[in-house]
Amino acid sequence: MSDGGAVLVDGAWLQARLGDPDLVVCEVDERPLIYRLGHVPGAHCLDWRIDLQDAVSRDLPDIEAVRRLWHRIGLSERSTAVFYGDQSNWYACFAFWLFRLYGVADLRILDGGRQAWLAEERPVTVDAPPENGSKTTLRPQVQAGLRATWRDVKAALDGGVQLLDVRTPAEYRGDVLTEAGYPDEGAQRAGHIPGALSVPWDVAVGRDGRLLDPERLRARLEEHGVNLAAPAITYCRIGERSAHTWFVLQELLGVSARNYDGSWTEWGSMIGMPIAIGDQPDRRKM
Amino acid sequence: MPEDPQHALATVRSELARVRSAVGRIERSLNELEASASAAGSSRRRPERYLRVLVDVYELGGRHGVAVEAWANIGSRRGYDRRGLGGFFTGARAPLRHAGDRVVLTAYGQRLVDEYLAGLAA
Repeated sequence: MSDGGAVLVDGAWLQARLGDPDLVVCEVDERPLIYRLGHVPGAHCLDWRIDLQDAVSRDLPDIEAVRRLWHRIGLSERSTAVFYGDQSNWYACFAFWLFRLYGVADLRILDGGRQAWLAEERPVTVDAPPENGSKTTLRPQVQAGLRATWRDVKAALDGGVQLLDVRTPAEYRGDVLTEAGYPDEGAQRAGHIPGALSVPWDVAVGRDGRLLDPERLRARLEEHGVNLAAPAITYCRIGERSAHTWFVLQELLGVSARNYDGSWTEWGSMIGMPIAIGDQPDRRKM
Repeated sequence: MPEDPQHALATVRSELARVRSAVGRIERSLNELEASASAAGSSRRRPERYLRVLVDVYELGGRHGVAVEAWANIGSRRGYDRRGLGGFFTGARAPLRHAGDRVVLTAYGQRLVDEYLAGLAA
């Protein structure tokens, strides 16, 4: 059903297409149980702890797991996949990034996510979609240039690629290991990767959870020192907020960007990694 | 003999790292204690509408909370009058707090939301 349109869609766009057999809608929440209170009709629930990471090792799901997931939700070559969720689409953007990483072409994000859909009083249902019976022939293939490992980040320290720390300023400074409410996501050390710019993810959204328009996005990011002509690596604590900023840079603004999904829980826990603490020295220099 | 400034700096940095580490441990302990306290308090089951108010704030407020007007609407929809809504902000374990002109969940409020959602899965 691809209309070749923008990757960011609104509620009216999605509601008008509900029921289209080539539309695959996925809700991806920080709190997946909230899906049970009601969701976009036909939406599948992707649980980030189960569906978007490996069941055992700390890694992304492998090709076979992704293929099974695509089969479950009925994703095919003809599909347009739309993601939305709570928390201004943190995990929806992570799923978008993962699917893009595995080679899916037609992906969309519902602007404002679950919050906007409910605020607009659009239809919801508690009925789960039927299991897909057809076999997908879509084969996951890892695309280069979208994921950064700690080795890529270490290489970026020598210059050429800007590192964007999208956590809260308190996490960046090293005042706290995590925001309140995330006791299980702390690293061994607090602080940030030396040379990283502090660009909190929410500079890109309004209070209603929707993304700013591209002109304002560019202005806000440049205010925070981001060079929109240079490649970037984004990171946060576990890679979901950084997927949000990755989406803004790569998909909306055309900046070459990679998401470091290992993020601070990896970097801040590894032996021998350089760490900085305190405020950003001078954000205007870059 | 005066202390070597580099050595003094290293000592202070080391002490700072130690303090930060201790703060992290205290934070984790505090969170565990809060979790235990809320589990212990679950015998005093909150009314459904009370918990639904918190879920509404989570769903409609996202990361930035809800505006005061939207907050009043949420309360009204769940059967609270304006005076009754004040109780959500009082006490050591208040589930909501004001952040400027917005109403946001506290860490405890988020825990109550999680407990409510977990009840749906039971």
